[in-house]
Amino acid sequence: MNLNYEKSTIELPESWRAKAPILLSAGLILLCIGFLCAFGGSSTGEDNQQGFKYLCHSYLANFVYVFSFTLGALFFILVQFLTRAGWSTSIRRVAEILMMMIPYLALLFIPIIAMLFAGSSALYEWNGKNIHSSVIASKATFYLSKEFFTLRTVIYFTYWILTANWFFRISRAQDESGDAELSLLRQKWAGPLIMLFSLSASFAAFDWLMSIDADWYSTIFGVYLFAGSMMSFFAVMIVINMLLQNAGKIQKLVTVEHFHDMGKFLFGFVMFWSYIAFSQLVLIWYANIPEETFWYQVRLDNGWMTFSYCIIPIHFIIPFLFLMSRHIRRNRTALTIGAVWLLFAHWYDMTFLVMPNAGPAQLVPLLGHFLGGIGMLSIFASMFIWRADGVPLVAMRDPRLPEAMAYTNPIL
Amino acid sequence: MSEHKPRKTTEKKVPKAFGWMAEYQDENSLLAAARKVRDSGYTKTDAFTPFPVHGIDEALGIKPTILPFIVLCAGLTGLSTALLMQWWMNGVDYKYIISAKPFGITPASIPVAFELTVLFSAFTTFLGMIALNQLPKFSNPVFTNPRFDRATNDRFFLYVEAADKYYNRDSVKELLGGTHPDSLDEVLEDTTPSALPRPIILGTILLVIAGLIPAMIILNIRAGYSTAPRFHVFFDMDFQPKKKAQQTTTIFADGRSMRPQVKGTVGRGQLEEQDPFYLGYDPSKLTAIDTLETGKFVSLQEPKATDSSAASPASGLTSDGSAQTPAAPSATLNLPWIDKLPIEVNEANIAVGKQKFETYCSACHGYAGFGDGLVHKRADSLAQGYWLAPTSLHVDKVRSQPVGQIFHTITKGQGKMASYASSLNPKERWAIVLYVRALQKSRNADLSEVPADMVKTLDEVK
Repeated sequence: MNLNYEKSTIELPESWRAKAPILLSAGLILLCIGFLCAFGGSSTGEDNQQGFKYLCHSYLANFVYVFSFTLGALFFILVQFLTRAGWSTSIRRVAEILMMMIPYLALLFIPIIAMLFAGSSALYEWNGKNIHSSVIASKATFYLSKEFFTLRTVIYFTYWILTANWFFRISRAQDESGDAELSLLRQKWAGPLIMLFSLSASFAAFDWLMSIDADWYSTIFGVYLFAGSMMSFFAVMIVINMLLQNAGKIQKLVTVEHFHDMGKFLFGFVMFWSYIAFSQLVLIWYANIPEETFWYQVRLDNGWMTFSYCIIPIHFIIPFLFLMSRHIRRNRTALTIGAVWLLFAHWYDMTFLVMPNAGPAQLVPLLGHFLGGIGMLSIFASMFIWRADGVPLVAMRDPRLPEAMAYTNPIL
Repeated sequence: MSEHKPRKTTEKKVPKAFGWMAEYQDENSLLAAARKVRDSGYTKTDAFTPFPVHGIDEALGIKPTILPFIVLCAGLTGLSTALLMQWWMNGVDYKYIISAKPFGITPASIPVAFELTVLFSAFTTFLGMIALNQLPKFSNPVFTNPRFDRATNDRFFLYVEAADKYYNRDSVKELLGGTHPDSLDEVLEDTTPSALPRPIILGTILLVIAGLIPAMIILNIRAGYSTAPRFHVFFDMDFQPKKKAQQTTTIFADGRSMRPQVKGTVGRGQLEEQDPFYLGYDPSKLTAIDTLETGKFVSLQEPKATDSSAASPASGLTSDGSAQTPAAPSATLNLPWIDKLPIEVNEANIAVGKQKFETYCSACHGYAGFGDGLVHKRADSLAQGYWLAPTSLHVDKVRSQPVGQIFHTITKGQGKMASYASSLNPKERWAIVLYVRALQKSRNADLSEVPADMVKTLDEVK
């Protein structure tokens, strides 16, 4: 297989570099406007507590929204080596860059930790003094104390960052040497690391999202967030690869077959998310125990009912039917539409998980939350550009690259 | 494959040609040749490779199959079958309350719908693939070429069938020859005789006949009668080295396999048959009561003992109806009930009685014992005409009952009320009796019975 290439075709587009600061400032401005909307729209006049509560929840939901892309990327890299995948070699570097954004995004978690140490219980009730529920109070003495929560968060981030760094460093070393041993080395460690990954991702989901409502528990919650993360990760991959190709890069290395495969994963994880979300619902619905059902009750009361029911078509029925056909997945425009739709659906899911705990559904704060989400995406895009700058967009000397180029989907 | 069966003609003719087959060293030459053949317009082509070759479908010009659409239809059929079935069964035909869930399609129907969708799709995929590939196909004319054996090993073959619309023997040969194959052979009809050897046919017939023998034996036995004892397959299971009741034995001098009670011992459960603490009445005084009551007592203890023949006139049971409903006579049962509680009257026992009463009794009798528990309210609101309200514990009939009788009711059940002996031990049952007495007292006490210091409190409440 002929792998002669122009070096310029695997670099970040020149015009993108200038966009990074613009994207960052636009993101920050949008975030502020969003906060103002959320704050102003939900304040009742006499006390601003409600507005602040809304703002905290909105920030957390939007943070987890963009963070889940990178978490999905880390898992994707681990599983590619675990399964000795060859098809994905040409798209792997973009995923590696996404994975390497975890340290940047860790900075965005600092406001949440700061809020905890300022003694606010607006987001996490267990951090306050007047805890209404004895269950939360019993958990708050040790597990859900701000010190232990911070320690766990630091451990998660340390693990993710070290793993990502290690994989990225070896990948870059292979760019120079083309040594096949480097692939085998990563393959060897992918197994144990993926086990730690599943634990850390699950517990992060419990700590960050589930403990908003510490009375409630669902052991499948970590898998639920993981399913959404993987789905949104593939959506982000499709969008980034499309944008890069539109800018004239990696056109020959990433073929319609790779888009088809990412489309299949996207479709698969739409189904997987629905399966997990439904599994969680049906057990709670069937057992009908108040200590479990109230979580759904919160999502049906206070004007959230329409919003919550809409997640079924938005996150499952429409994308499931849309992405089912092979012709859609092999069509650039259609696949991008599907990916963008699912990026919205994942934001919707994060909103569904977090926002009903902040208070009643109101249009203006929700709009502010949406603007905040776009702002967060914008910041994410600027981070991606900075991270990808100077890094080849394809691992050109990976010994499995010819396999990725030869790969085609059978005609079904 | 009818086309390559040997013709039943006597003349030795030239074997029929089925097409050309080219052999290649590697998959890239095969792919290039396949593209060339495809571009020349041939469609009846096939490739044989030792491993799956990426892109071969496109190189051969294979059209996408319609299988996905068939599977989609099968999946939708599965989905609608599951939903319709559950809607019909649980929503229309047999409405049955399960865990207080609504009828018809509920979230609980989704797993079944999912499973049936997958089941229908999977079977259709598998069977549809087999059908569309016209499998199973036991022979193919390409097998006649001995070089073809290496198709499963290290060689790549391209086959152009003579059945193709544009097939021309010489031009195909020229076309394939231009792709630089290792070898190029015409695929010829297999001329070796295809008839099965006679011993194989004979052996098969014999095997089939032999295989029928067990079935015939079984049929024969099922259809006929025999006085011979049946064949014992598990001999040691049919004849176990143990004794059953009423059998004789040579081990003991008296020849009985059932052993009499050893003197000075108490058997399990024996105490319960004699002690008023377990019965609510004094069995030693049973002889003092008249025969009529004894008869009722017997009917209560052993319902089957008093059927029409056993109910002698001496027992006083004249009507069959009363004998067939053994629980009914106990309404007027007059046994030597004990009047004194066999447990101490203290706070602890009342607390036990209250707790057990509220757990087991209050569902029907209500927390205050008026017979207005939740079960009663629910059943009554369903307006089922046959619902009999639970007895109020404050009516004179119950208040006048000795404690032993109330204990007996809890132990044995009464009317619709089931026995609670398996849920509550005797001490707990007596504690409930104590609590019931306390409840009754609370509704029917005189002011003079109230302690002097509490009277004041009562006045304040007024």
